[in-house]
Amino acid sequence: MATARSFPALAVLNRVILWAVFLTLAVICVYPMIWLFLNAFKTTNDMFAATWGLPKIWHWENFSTAWNYGISRYLLNSLVVTTATVVVELSLATMAAYALVVLNFRAKAAIYTLILGGAILPPEVSLIPLFRVMAETGLYNTYFALILPNVAFGLPFTTFLIRAYMTGIPGELREAALMDGAGEARIFREVYLPLCRPILASAGLISAMRVWNEFIFALTFVESESVKTVTIGVMSFAVALRADWGVLMAGLALSILPILATFLVMQRQFVGGLTSGAVK
Amino acid sequence: MTDRSDHSRATWRQSLQGWLWVAPALLFLVIFVYGPALTNIRFSLFSFSAMSLDWDFVGLNNYLRLWSDPKFTTALTNNAVYAVISVTCQVGIALVLAAVLEARIFPDFSANLFRTALFLPSILPVVVVGLVWQLLLTPTTGLIDQILWETGLASWSRAWLGEPDTAIFAVIFVSQWQWTGYIMALFMVAIRAVPRDLYEAMEIDGASGVQQFWHITVPGVRETILIVTIITILGSLKVFDIVWVMTAGGPNHSSEVLGTMMYRAAFRDDMIGYSSTIATVIFFIALTIGLVQIKLQKDR
Repeated sequence: MATARSFPALAVLNRVILWAVFLTLAVICVYPMIWLFLNAFKTTNDMFAATWGLPKIWHWENFSTAWNYGISRYLLNSLVVTTATVVVELSLATMAAYALVVLNFRAKAAIYTLILGGAILPPEVSLIPLFRVMAETGLYNTYFALILPNVAFGLPFTTFLIRAYMTGIPGELREAALMDGAGEARIFREVYLPLCRPILASAGLISAMRVWNEFIFALTFVESESVKTVTIGVMSFAVALRADWGVLMAGLALSILPILATFLVMQRQFVGGLTSGAVK
Repeated sequence: MTDRSDHSRATWRQSLQGWLWVAPALLFLVIFVYGPALTNIRFSLFSFSAMSLDWDFVGLNNYLRLWSDPKFTTALTNNAVYAVISVTCQVGIALVLAAVLEARIFPDFSANLFRTALFLPSILPVVVVGLVWQLLLTPTTGLIDQILWETGLASWSRAWLGEPDTAIFAVIFVSQWQWTGYIMALFMVAIRAVPRDLYEAMEIDGASGVQQFWHITVPGVRETILIVTIITILGSLKVFDIVWVMTAGGPNHSSEVLGTMMYRAAFRDDMIGYSSTIATVIFFIALTIGLVQIKLQKDR
């Protein structure tokens, strides 16, 4: 971007202001998490006395208390639900995308619209009937009650992403394979899937983040500690520990530690993956 | 759509194969999204509770009742305020921030660091963000109050989440804190796709950064602006979790949004029919926004 060449002083001033703005924003965005982690080591009294400072005594036991309070189980449940959702969702979306890109069939445009259309409907509009279905089929309070709707609500965007990527794969590859006598299933598996690896990674990451953070289904469709995911887990955790901020904050810190660690280690891939689909 | 094979009409045999490939995805959507959404509309015509066996058909009475419910007016207003503030921050401000970061004003290393820092809140679960900010906003002991005290602005101190005038704005603020950086990163990707030489040409002509922003960046990412605006408005319509965690619609229903109002009606007050009515309103607003998006995208 051009600086105002004729007014060097102004240009310098602009630069200083921009630095100040971005530094402030960066601190505002990051500091709450640092505050969370530092205060997770304090007792409630220390915290009230000095919310800014480093802990005088590092109370590591806050973390073990929180861990034993149920955070470990919630994390495990989230892991199960997230993994299952991502695997099923990616499989179905990739199959649908393959057909939408390479196969010729009737009502194709209408079907694609129907799949994409799901993206505009918020979970609220299906919540009450879904709740009844879960109750009547006995799925209520099981992992399936979370996995199935999570897959369904994630499919539109995932299919969109994968389809857009597949249109960039030259059709000649498939035609050559057809000549060699390969069937669609084999072309899908041996030609398209390997080529789609980058977009599958991105779509999988987006979907995993969405499911890991999902709230309204988890709030509505499960109630036992043994199936609660971490988002709902920390809610009940927070209610139970209103008075013990140190342990509460240690619990919150533990609950985000897996995501945070992954993000900090692979932030380039993370930002790249989560923003794929920004341009067509 | 791809055109490779579209000009020849598919035979039934060919079609069957295609349908089999899309069937699993389609089935999921029909069973868990579209089917329930339609059932929900039917529910809205009845008055019943979760356990009741007999349903009273009440026609559009639930809608009339909703229309005269002051909480509904509050909720709609809050959703609208949510949308306006979110579009301003997450489309307007995020785009400006993205343009600055992509303009090579900062050294690459710092620009990258800024992007990571601003992006960070978006990877956190909304629940954790809500709970942490609840602690930060606690009167006297919370960080925000302490900052106000230290900087001599003690008179500004208040129970941000506990007062009807400020509760919804505090929640909206936290939402902006969480998502502006994410949208900024989306815009950065879009800006990178704008041809570099356009900027260089304008720079040779002596155009300022602001002029370049309006004449190259904004038109260059118009498509992304449109999509992000739609996503942001849809997001403001369906917002539930951050409000539920931080205020649960309180105090005295002042921060109620359609989502929390619907959830409370169904799962706290056991008025399933009434709750379905609110969900149906959400459905039709979402549908309208979706149709507007399709229309706008066709126009270009």
